Amino acid sequence: MAQRAAVIGVGQTHYQARRRDVSMAGLVREAAQRALEDAQCTWKEVDAVVIGKAPDMFEGVMMPELGLADALGGAYKPMLRVHTAGSVGGSTGVVAASLVQGGIHERVLCVAYEKQSESNATWALSISMPFSVATIAGAGGYFAPLVRGYIRRSGAPEDTGVRVAVKDRRNALRNPYAHLRVEDISFEMVANSPMLWDPIRYLETCPSSDGACALVLASESIAERAEKTPAWIHATEMRSEPTQFAGRDQVMPRATLDNAASLYKKAGIQNPRRELDCAEIYVPFSWFEPMWLEGMRIAEPNQGWQMTCEGATAMDGDFPVNMSGGVLSSNPIGASGLIRFAESALQVRGLAGERQVDGARLALGHAYGGGSQYFSTWIVGSQKP
Amino acid sequence: MAPVSDSESSLVTTQRLAYTYKRSLGPVLSQFFTALRERRILGVRRPDGSVMVPPREYDPDSGEAISEMVEVSDSGVVKSWAWVHAPRPAQPLPHPFAYALIQLDGADTPLLHVVDAGAEEQMQTGMRVRARWAEPRGGGIGDIAAFEPATGATGE
Repeated sequence: MAQRAAVIGVGQTHYQARRRDVSMAGLVREAAQRALEDAQCTWKEVDAVVIGKAPDMFEGVMMPELGLADALGGAYKPMLRVHTAGSVGGSTGVVAASLVQGGIHERVLCVAYEKQSESNATWALSISMPFSVATIAGAGGYFAPLVRGYIRRSGAPEDTGVRVAVKDRRNALRNPYAHLRVEDISFEMVANSPMLWDPIRYLETCPSSDGACALVLASESIAERAEKTPAWIHATEMRSEPTQFAGRDQVMPRATLDNAASLYKKAGIQNPRRELDCAEIYVPFSWFEPMWLEGMRIAEPNQGWQMTCEGATAMDGDFPVNMSGGVLSSNPIGASGLIRFAESALQVRGLAGERQVDGARLALGHAYGGGSQYFSTWIVGSQKP
Repeated sequence: MAPVSDSESSLVTTQRLAYTYKRSLGPVLSQFFTALRERRILGVRRPDGSVMVPPREYDPDSGEAISEMVEVSDSGVVKSWAWVHAPRPAQPLPHPFAYALIQLDGADTPLLHVVDAGAEEQMQTGMRVRARWAEPRGGGIGDIAAFEPATGATGE
């Protein structure tokens, strides 16, 4: 039986296009320092550091964690790097949680980051491999056909993606850390923005951001003494599968469905739509909201778009999704998964400010990565599991 | 794609990748490299009062943020060295030289650099050396072309 663990501190940088004023060390430090302040914890009190970021080739720094131990107070402590492509932020949270749940450490600092202004993700993701055909697709070109596949099988209205983008961009205006802020965002503005990868339009796409996010996770006895409400971890789960094989269902991969089933079983949840109060879901392209609502078994197969179109996922709906503005509004890739986990924690701690879902008690944090092949999730609550 | 060759029974090919990256140094290291351009060497003061050259943004032991810059001398003492008999093209000097740990006057840690001593016989632990500045300088560790043996008292 795992021991109880909780989030007692959250720290974020303000996500933006360029942070030329800081080194990578300075960037991760800023988020970590804020997490420690939120947790009212000193560097010395941290037992171990877990750090995650997207592929090293993005910024061209091999094993960047080698140079970040001092910035993260990790000297002479266990320090661990996690990598699971775009889902890495989520996996970093899951690994850090396991170190507390397993009784190994009392306080773990968990940090994820990306400095996209010094990287080129599209180049790194589009490298042609010998003996293969180069797609030169980047992420958008890779995922657009999966969205088309979803539309075909679900019969979703063509404007579903536009509705998601408008909703997430409105939510971002309430989040002081969000990168993209389009004050006068409207349905027409999104619908009329240039088509980048049919059916994904410019305003239905995530930005490139610099930023870092950090959490302090603590054991039950420490979390009980915390001055601010902790976010208790009710369950974590990860699943993976191969990127490509003939016949693979890339639109609704088995790994996401297995992951969801196992997560809810661990959390004792029968009906996620009813029992969860809100969710932060990894939506880098608008259509992935309905797709992962189904992938997370919150909506029935081929019906996720109905939740979007009925307004259920809006701030005033019965199942708010991406209160922070989501990946569509801030995307320091390696951190993007952990930001979802952080936002779910802030919601159940009642610390989400203007974007707070009233009375949120149980929230989902979700990340996916690679070719829709890595899934990292957790459920946090205001009460102990 | 590069040509495919048949090696025994399995296919092998080569692949070349290239991309130009950017890098931001942050406030502390930016000061260090800017000072080198001006023929000055900066260290940073650690919480115990000692001066570390080259500087880092965070104390390697405690993790505390450190930003008090301290100018040190451009001459110092060789603490340890290794002679390079046959330099390769990418190495700092075209003729034989020493890689050395040099503790600059005013610093408490040694800096890894190059001593252009002419011959191995001229090298000695404890010898004094002085920076020879490159022309022109662009804000990099190569702004110090090398250290050279200096006259004066032998350290330690």
